[in-house]
Amino acid sequence: MTVRWDLAATWAAVLAVTLAGWGLAAATLPVPDYYLPPPTAVFAAFGDLVVKGILPTYIAESLRRMLLAALIGLAAGVPLGLVLGMSRRVADFAYPLLNFFQSVSGIAWLPLMLVWFGFGERTILVAVNYTVLFPVIFNALLGVRSVPRLYVNALRTLGASRWRIVRDVLLPGALPSIATGMRLGLAYGWRALIAAEMLVGAHGLGFMIFNAQAFHLTARIMLGMGTIGVLWLVLDYFLLRPLEEATISRWGLVQR
Amino acid sequence: MLPAIFLPPPGDVLRTAWELARDGSLWVNIAASLGRVLLGVVVSAPLAVALGVLVGLSRRLAAVLEPIASFFNALSGIAWLPLAVTWFGLGWTSVTFIMFNTIFFLVFFNTLIGVRTVPRIFEHAVSTLGGSRRHLILHVLIPGALPSIVTGLHMGIGFGWRALIAAEMIATSTGLGFLIYNAANFHQTDTILVGIVTIGLLWLGTDRFILQPLERRTVERWGLVSTAP
Repeated sequence: MTVRWDLAATWAAVLAVTLAGWGLAAATLPVPDYYLPPPTAVFAAFGDLVVKGILPTYIAESLRRMLLAALIGLAAGVPLGLVLGMSRRVADFAYPLLNFFQSVSGIAWLPLMLVWFGFGERTILVAVNYTVLFPVIFNALLGVRSVPRLYVNALRTLGASRWRIVRDVLLPGALPSIATGMRLGLAYGWRALIAAEMLVGAHGLGFMIFNAQAFHLTARIMLGMGTIGVLWLVLDYFLLRPLEEATISRWGLVQR
Repeated sequence: MLPAIFLPPPGDVLRTAWELARDGSLWVNIAASLGRVLLGVVVSAPLAVALGVLVGLSRRLAAVLEPIASFFNALSGIAWLPLAVTWFGLGWTSVTFIMFNTIFFLVFFNTLIGVRTVPRIFEHAVSTLGGSRRHLILHVLIPGALPSIVTGLHMGIGFGWRALIAAEMIATSTGLGFLIYNAANFHQTDTILVGIVTIGLLWLGTDRFILQPLERRTVERWGLVSTAP
């Protein structure tokens, strides 16, 4: 427990020093206020946007889109990756395709989505879901392929059904890889979401910071950046990392 | 039947690819995008490694700076764009700034982690044998942190490449991101598809022929080969 307090104290001290240095720089540097607004302006913007309800609404919008992409990634990407990975021939065929599609970021598809779906919610959702989905499918497939044949054969020899093999061998064996895929997919997806919100501009944190730039509301940009960073840290620290660690330590990749 | 605007036949896409290659615009845009990635790496990676090692020398300083680095890691990529445009206007400075922030913090953070995971016994061994501080850095800390550094570089370029495509759509008038975004304005779906495939192939090539071999070599040479108990 003492370690945790140490950590909290360190974070608080770092934050205080950063804010003080930033405030000093903003007060002394000969640049206009919109170049480097003082921290107080960012806090004022925070209060202002919370009172007006804009910030909570935009956070909710962005998180809703992200959550949807995560759920679809889990519900569709994982089973698809598992199924594709089960047959060596299918996996060999799908591997280069999936690798290609996961290496094209969703944001590169955005121009095509704009032609197909126009400027709107649907374009954002497709771009984000695409970005999340492919790393998940790809890593689920890799995970299944990395399960030693020996285990599958052992269960089969003992008379297990196909379903038993999937449930007791392939899925657990692929879990660490799936967790990695989820973490990577969501990390890319979160950034694709911000970019898509900037370009398509329909609510959300990306829209907020991009729009603020047009009006030189730099304090609002910094507030948005802080929010984006903190939201991701919270998501990563409390959801994705525990998931990854739990699966990896559960399924024996930890040596000690 | 879909109109060609929505989904051009493969023949059209190939013909457009040929035309873009022949009039040189494809190569110009590829060179612009790759040049920006390269510039970003050259400007940020050496600095990030140097600072990461220096900070890692002091465990206390490392503990203090780690939260800052992990925050900026979480922020990496396109979120820097509005601030970049405010500070530097539209153009290559803004794009370089975004690439710098994306690659720098990922490499810095991973260097820091890498240095901190070098077992202290190696440091003590070299020190006991009379190794200088310079020895310690060059022969223990940097080699020990190398797998982590390369991982950071791999991630940084991965995130950077994606951020670059998005940034080029908004802040520049060259590059593959600009090519496809501009084509969308004119509903040139064939050009968009040529651009998308180029973006994918370039990343696959970079990953396969530069980053993965680099990673494999460092890991084989330094990393996961553990000392006997």
